[in-house]
Amino acid sequence: MNDLVKENKLLDTVINSFKIEGKVIRDCRVEVYADKNTVSSILLFAKNQLGYIHLAHMTCVDWIDQGEYEMIYTIYSPVDKITLFVKTRIDRENPVMENIDTIWDQANTYEREMREMFGIEFPGLIGEHDFILEDWDQIPPMRKEFDTHKYAAETFFTRPGREDAKDVRDEINKRSGAKVPEFAKKYSRE
Amino acid sequence: MIREKETTLYLGPQHPGITGNMMVKLKVQGDTVVSASTHVGYLHRAFEKLIERRNWIQAFTLLCRFCVPEPDPMELTYARAVEELDNREVPERAKYIRVIVMELARMQAFMLWYAGQSGSAGLYLTPQWSVGDRNYILDLFEDLTGGRIYHMYIWPGGVRRDLPKGWTDKTLRTMDYIEKRLDEYNKILFDNTIFQKRAQGVGIVPKDKAIEWGVVGPVLRGTGIRSDVRIDEPYEVYDKLDFDIPTQEGGDIWARALVRKEEVRQSIRIIRQAIADMPEGEYYNKVSNPMKWTVPAGQAWARTESVRGEIGFHVTSDGGNKPYRVHVKGAAYTHGVTVLEKILPGQNIADVSFILNSLGVCPPEIER
Repeated sequence: MNDLVKENKLLDTVINSFKIEGKVIRDCRVEVYADKNTVSSILLFAKNQLGYIHLAHMTCVDWIDQGEYEMIYTIYSPVDKITLFVKTRIDRENPVMENIDTIWDQANTYEREMREMFGIEFPGLIGEHDFILEDWDQIPPMRKEFDTHKYAAETFFTRPGREDAKDVRDEINKRSGAKVPEFAKKYSRE
Repeated sequence: MIREKETTLYLGPQHPGITGNMMVKLKVQGDTVVSASTHVGYLHRAFEKLIERRNWIQAFTLLCRFCVPEPDPMELTYARAVEELDNREVPERAKYIRVIVMELARMQAFMLWYAGQSGSAGLYLTPQWSVGDRNYILDLFEDLTGGRIYHMYIWPGGVRRDLPKGWTDKTLRTMDYIEKRLDEYNKILFDNTIFQKRAQGVGIVPKDKAIEWGVVGPVLRGTGIRSDVRIDEPYEVYDKLDFDIPTQEGGDIWARALVRKEEVRQSIRIIRQAIADMPEGEYYNKVSNPMKWTVPAGQAWARTESVRGEIGFHVTSDGGNKPYRVHVKGAAYTHGVTVLEKILPGQNIADVSFILNSLGVCPPEIER
């Protein structure tokens, strides 16, 4: 029986050390919410003092309605076998976040991708600006307001001879005389 | 001493030694690499962005394409993350089927690695054999799912179909065949002096830096660190099965090859046990209408052990019928960039593709 002793102990240690909030999600999963300026201190503390040496993942979620980006750092202890999520929110219009590639070398790749895909600046980040995209002059494409459908319609053209390219299902149904079922109409394309 | 001039060498994006479309920009002096930097972007298809426009089930058609040689761990990891958000139970039989599928996926990816690794050492018999033998595993997938490479078979709540009649017998026969073939592979690759001399002491990942650089999977186990998601955080029914996690010391290509060689035997062991222990019963906890299905708001993180190491999915739901955000991190994300750039300096140019293969770099997984 797992009564979450290890998880609660970890949570208490982190929230008491930094006066922040957090919760135990389930066994092997703990999350804490911090101010963006405290994140690197928490990560360094967890890595050096608590044995959370594996940066498993870093990601960003665009909460456009709230005008914020949520930054999530997922770190893991091979000894405790617990995953700790350190979450913070930053302003979406002026997104600046601390650079942590001095703590984990591999964070550099995540940060370069987030700089390109979300437009987040990481002061002191070294690495070429073009990581995945090349000569991109639009808004960062992973931002929620970037419309892939509109971009594709404006940027690409139909191959000569394929101007009639339509929804294949519509065409097949038209030729065979069958009707498109309601559910397919509604959910096939936006 | 005459100092040799430094030259820039672009390896890729189209190169037989690269494991996909990717470029490694090398600064070389003579035959020796001085520095390396990875350039990706040739395979970016914006899958994560496109998934945000599709419903929870339609996402499967995209996410299995994150890594072509190994699509099944992507399906399973995403399905597990969605199940966690939805509190959806998976029937016991489905868990066993998933384990069998995962281990078959591991074996077919091993066969491809085998081909790439020996091919990049100039040994061209092995690829002919292993890619041929891989087809027997793909036959099993075809019988089970209808597809040889992309299956879209594992769904939230279980698997899409039950095992066809006679499939387990055919699988067991295939396992017997492959087990015999592994001995022959040993003779042509692992007992081969050319391979031993090329692999030993080359492309060393230091044990003390491995975790910090984000090394996972067989590459990490090749440094002597026993780490495997199947043991550390058991999912499905891995905790009920008996298998070993092989490790080796040294951190070089040779150590990684020995780890993989033993892992495939463990996969055969797991498949035999899973088939023997698999209960009868339901295989799918059905989603009533997959096209209208909404998943409760929240965030979930799921990780799975693929043949190249830990794969993690971070899935965010806003309560709607589409994923709000899906982010995947595969082994290649760190192995192909940070680790590669750090271990290539000092190596010979001829060893670059050899090292790339041994790290299990899959470019589409880096850029998605």
